[in-house]
Amino acid sequence: MENAIEVNDLRKHYGNTVAVDNISFRVARGEFFGLLGPNGAGKTTTIRMLTGLTKPTSGTVKVAGWDCVTESLAVKQRIGVVTEVSNLYSEMSAWDNLMFVGKLYGVDKSTRTERAKQLLEAFQLYERRHDLIISYSRGMKRRVRIAAAFLHRPEVLFLDEPTSGLDVQSSRLIRSLIRKFNEEGMTIFLTTHYIDEADQLCDRVAIIKQGKIIAEGSPEKLKSSLQGEYVIEVAFSRNDLDVQAHLQSDPIMKGVIKQGDKYHIRTGTPNTIIKKMVRFAASNRLEITSMNTKQPSLEDVFVRYTGLDAVQLERMELLRAVKVGGQRG
Amino acid sequence: MANRALRNLTTTFFEFMAKGTCVARKDARIYYFKPQIIGFGILIPAFVYLSFSLGREIPSTLLISGLVGMVSLFGASSIEAISIPIERQTETWELLQIAPITMRTIVFGKSLAGSVFGIMLSLVTALGTILLTRSTIANPLPFATVTIIGAFAFSALGMLVAAAAKDMPTANISLTALRLPMIFIGGVFIPVQALPPPLRIISYMTPLTYMVDALKESMTTPSIMFAIDLVALIVWFAIFQSLAVIILNKKARL
Repeated sequence: MENAIEVNDLRKHYGNTVAVDNISFRVARGEFFGLLGPNGAGKTTTIRMLTGLTKPTSGTVKVAGWDCVTESLAVKQRIGVVTEVSNLYSEMSAWDNLMFVGKLYGVDKSTRTERAKQLLEAFQLYERRHDLIISYSRGMKRRVRIAAAFLHRPEVLFLDEPTSGLDVQSSRLIRSLIRKFNEEGMTIFLTTHYIDEADQLCDRVAIIKQGKIIAEGSPEKLKSSLQGEYVIEVAFSRNDLDVQAHLQSDPIMKGVIKQGDKYHIRTGTPNTIIKKMVRFAASNRLEITSMNTKQPSLEDVFVRYTGLDAVQLERMELLRAVKVGGQRG
Repeated sequence: MANRALRNLTTTFFEFMAKGTCVARKDARIYYFKPQIIGFGILIPAFVYLSFSLGREIPSTLLISGLVGMVSLFGASSIEAISIPIERQTETWELLQIAPITMRTIVFGKSLAGSVFGIMLSLVTALGTILLTRSTIANPLPFATVTIIGAFAFSALGMLVAAAAKDMPTANISLTALRLPMIFIGGVFIPVQALPPPLRIISYMTPLTYMVDALKESMTTPSIMFAIDLVALIVWFAIFQSLAVIILNKKARL
């Protein structure tokens, strides 16, 4: 299959800091590809190099068959980019923003008018098309920004954290429309810190850590790479004990993570863990309210490869929310 | 072969003009009525001029050329000093960078917005002063020509300073630090010939000197100096624009 994106030995350093360290990967035409990684792993630098915004220190990048460094205008004409910030002109309406972007991409007047109408209707914003962007909620701005990136019908759409910090309704609408774009044949390159989102949407994902790709494959293939590992999810009747500390004191309980009122334990020997749990509950006069044995999720894969624990994952999401919340407009 | 090359060149030129005009129209719409533009572009030159000219007998030729030159300098250079830092801060600058448009086109579009603003202010000032002083302009076409070319040169100056500055206060302070000395040595209040020799040399290194001189020439009988002034303004425009493109390109692809 022909590739929409070809990255070879791509490297970027700022002084002595290596942001991206000799990465290589391919994305096939029509594929939905996700790049996952903790904060500072090199996701945004990678996407900036792929979209011609940042010059690589070394290596080559081809998008839609064109070189991102020497033929950047040809690349830009064929891609749509949604950066992490909804960068729109807040003193202009959604409609005028779309018309402006359409003109920059050389879309003729009747086509851009028709497409803008279709897109704003699909994104449920047509009724408010003449309102200034400054009066829009974050979710609405994000929808307009994605519509603007799609107006010229790009071959490849780059999305950097498209649903970060958005309400559930906006996130679901955006996800369903992105999926529709992909079904129509558009190649999608997504970075997200919502692992479930990548699991639902992506045909293939790569995990990047400290500038290097440490795992790559379909979500199911990556999950199966943790073959023989299970996740036991257990909830107790009371939470007054420091259950996590008790469980972690046992060497067999690797990676105990508290999520809400439940504890997740990764293990290769579920039978032993279940027996220990039952004994632990009995000795501490606790009732087990629920217990499930599950296959590892993509998040478990992510945690395993990046070495992040639950606290770090939560901090990563919090940092992202603060960053997005702090953006102007 | 030659026809094809000519056709490509024509397409590129029209695309450059269309996209540049698109950027300029957007800038005009967003930035012309910003309070900072009214402050830095209109009020400051008006106050400076009034404080130095009140109570003095100024010949109408000197008054009109000086005032129009100064208004053009402040007006045309103000738009970019506001628009570029705001767009960097809101990251709408990146919206332009990810579009299939060259940095030269972006710079041209932004300069066009500043130039048109400077031209409008200059023409309003010229008309107002002519009516108030009941004077005439002997050669309106050369006057209009120099007003247009001068505004482009000053707008490109604003572009260069904004390109190099890291934020809006730095851009505006740097620009004011350049513009104020320019009006004192550029023939606005004192004829260049009356300046001490070292200042006279410096005055020929600023675009305002050439604009004020060309305006004076167009109000009487243009000599060869008028053509030299116009060429100098075009050269300043080209230098400022090219430097702005180089700096912005360098910053953009880090």
